[in-house]
Amino acid sequence: MAAAFPYTHYACPCSDLTSTAPSSISKRISNNQPANADLTDDRTFNPHDPRANCALYPLDHLLFCDECDAIRCPKCWTEEIINWYCPTCLFEVPSSAVKSDGNRCSRNCYTCPACTAPLAVAAMPQPAGDYLKPTEPATEAYMLQCGYCDWSSRDLDVLFSKPTKITEQLAKQRKARLGSSGKEASDKDAKPNPVGHDTAFGSLTTFYKAQLSESGDAQNQFANSPYSSPANLQRIMNIYGGLSANTLKKSRETPQPMREARDSNEGFSTYTPDPVEHEATVISKLRSLSWEDTTTTEQRLAAPPNNYSRFADQLWPVATPLRTRKGKRCETCRHLISRPDSKVSHIRYKIRLLAMNNIPRIFMRPLHLPNPPPPNAAFRLRADDAVQAELQPNVAQQYILTIRNPIFETIKVTLATPGTTPGNVASRVTILCPSFPVGPAGDVWDEALSSSTTPASASNDGSRKAAMASLTGKAPEDADRQPEAGKVWDRTRNSTSVIVEIVPGPLKAPPSIVPKTEAELADQALDEDDEVLEVPIYVRAEWETVIDADAFGPGAKDDKHHGRQGEKVTKELAYWCVLGVGKIAE
Amino acid sequence: MSRPGPVSRRSTKSEYIETDTGNKISRRAHIEGKQNIMLGGKSVVMAGVCLRGDLHRKSEKPAEGEKEGPTTAISVGRASVIATNCTIRPPMRLSRGQMTFYPMRIGDNVFIGPGTHVSSLSISSHVHIGANCVLSPFCVIKESCKILPHTVVPPHMVIPAGSVVAGRPAQIVGEVGEGWGQGGGAEGEEWVEGGDLRPLVRSIK
Repeated sequence: MAAAFPYTHYACPCSDLTSTAPSSISKRISNNQPANADLTDDRTFNPHDPRANCALYPLDHLLFCDECDAIRCPKCWTEEIINWYCPTCLFEVPSSAVKSDGNRCSRNCYTCPACTAPLAVAAMPQPAGDYLKPTEPATEAYMLQCGYCDWSSRDLDVLFSKPTKITEQLAKQRKARLGSSGKEASDKDAKPNPVGHDTAFGSLTTFYKAQLSESGDAQNQFANSPYSSPANLQRIMNIYGGLSANTLKKSRETPQPMREARDSNEGFSTYTPDPVEHEATVISKLRSLSWEDTTTTEQRLAAPPNNYSRFADQLWPVATPLRTRKGKRCETCRHLISRPDSKVSHIRYKIRLLAMNNIPRIFMRPLHLPNPPPPNAAFRLRADDAVQAELQPNVAQQYILTIRNPIFETIKVTLATPGTTPGNVASRVTILCPSFPVGPAGDVWDEALSSSTTPASASNDGSRKAAMASLTGKAPEDADRQPEAGKVWDRTRNSTSVIVEIVPGPLKAPPSIVPKTEAELADQALDEDDEVLEVPIYVRAEWETVIDADAFGPGAKDDKHHGRQGEKVTKELAYWCVLGVGKIAE
Repeated sequence: MSRPGPVSRRSTKSEYIETDTGNKISRRAHIEGKQNIMLGGKSVVMAGVCLRGDLHRKSEKPAEGEKEGPTTAISVGRASVIATNCTIRPPMRLSRGQMTFYPMRIGDNVFIGPGTHVSSLSISSHVHIGANCVLSPFCVIKESCKILPHTVVPPHMVIPAGSVVAGRPAQIVGEVGEGWGQGGGAEGEEWVEGGDLRPLVRSIK
């Protein structure tokens, strides 16, 4: 994974890979709730699983459905397009015009066919002699130019008479070039058929539309049904429609079979092999040109006009593809969970239910480090900050794991992790205090006020220590504080930190006296990213909340707690997450 | 530019000069044309940064008698961080045989990674730019974008709001998540890309 260490990725519980709880927790659940007794599947989430990458997301990409009380990831939300816009001119394109323009900007936005950088309209440089004779009326000419790779429309011999309305001018020149139908056009499209691609497509479309309307609207009966396709619905209607055998037979009677296109007026075109001399010229050209002068697959597929371009000097400017802004709906309850504002220039949200405001957040940092790295490795301030120390195998490292609670209730968090990390490299992981409460989030002022009135309530342990320190005259923040099993390390208003001990496993197994078989050796071979130490942690949070009148959602898991308004219900939330610790040294 | 206070060099040996509005400017930054640079406050200019405020547009007609106020060449918003060894150079182009410079505008909470060359026309707020990028002249970066390290943004490219950009030349490779820039900034929490950079600014000493 590309993220810098340490990172936390969260798994949405929607896939079977991530939905199972580890046995230590599922047993506890089954003790409390006999309904879940069959859930004893002891599987840990393996971050090195090939499918794992598709289940893990950074927290800012996850949403939360507050109707279902569940995390939502790209796999369990549906997207709907709010608007289309051109990324270059930032103009919104009405949805009616999107299809006819081929999902591309019809204004004057073009990208370089060779390197995808945007093209700019530039005036043709005048020959040096013209500057010396300023009296001569200079003929103005413009071209499209790429500022990145120096491609310009001069390579195509396409020049414009004015710097505006590029699309019209370009279309005209394209038409003229294809219409000339001689060697030039066949060169262009590698297609000797005088009928251009676009015209052929247009006449084919009109022909088949006419055919469809002639043959009756049998196919389009259910055209705008919510099912995936009209044919599908037709099939379902035939099976369950309750029609009598007679009508069924009638309905099975195929309508007049459709005729195919027959002549070139209807868009029919035959394949004629290239004339030999044409092919010969292509081959000789290929011989003389270098590799760079031929087009790559990406360049050919970037736009329809370039689909048949064989040489780099035939590439036509690519109209900028449009982008969309999308809203997201929960797939289960169709509830909107994200809806951006339709203004293109800014990114604002009307509705945005973020996972990070609803699920406990986890992050980790090393306990002992002489000069701690920045909390987020994306903020590299100096070039030499980049080097990240590799983890030494078999050397125990202690990390502070901080759980932050974003909701307004005190939650009870239970963490579970396999004793040794799954995968080829087994590292030992111990969470010194796996179960603890985390205080509620709230106003910063709450904390300030409560700490000023009742200083002891902040943390019992700390206050006693502080009292001891004041008695003995020692600084309360003693540097050589030792982590203890079963005790939380640090606690603030809405976060609790515990210590995790990690012993990175060796990448190679110790050499053994008995010679190993081929299969054993192959078994030991490391896969890609096996040296990355990732710790899967199952987080389960439980809290009590007072139900409102309208919050009789499916959120509360156990039905017996579904009570009247004002009664307390227990809610729980559980998910896997993966902590990326670092790379293990050889 | 809010001028650095009267700090005598002998008495303080700290790396940064802090202005009245809280800007931190490294003593090892190369700054040309101070009077043409505006820093919004609580912004950081780190060591080795080259700010070319001297590349500003010359006024059309020379002032007669009265002096014209300084034109702005570079304006940086609040709580933006320009990391080490960046070059900030206003874009220019030849028009009618004359080199014309265009003012550059950088928004609030923008992070520019080390070793990056910036010549863009504007960078909106909450943009995170990785290390060793090249932002070519006249590119426009809209808000909440993420530019991955080692990206070369071609000239005149417009990057729409909320895009993740990478490659040489840069291409839009994705969109930032809904939670871009959210959930950070509180005391003791990690800093979030695109979020409030004030804690980061505070930590730079």
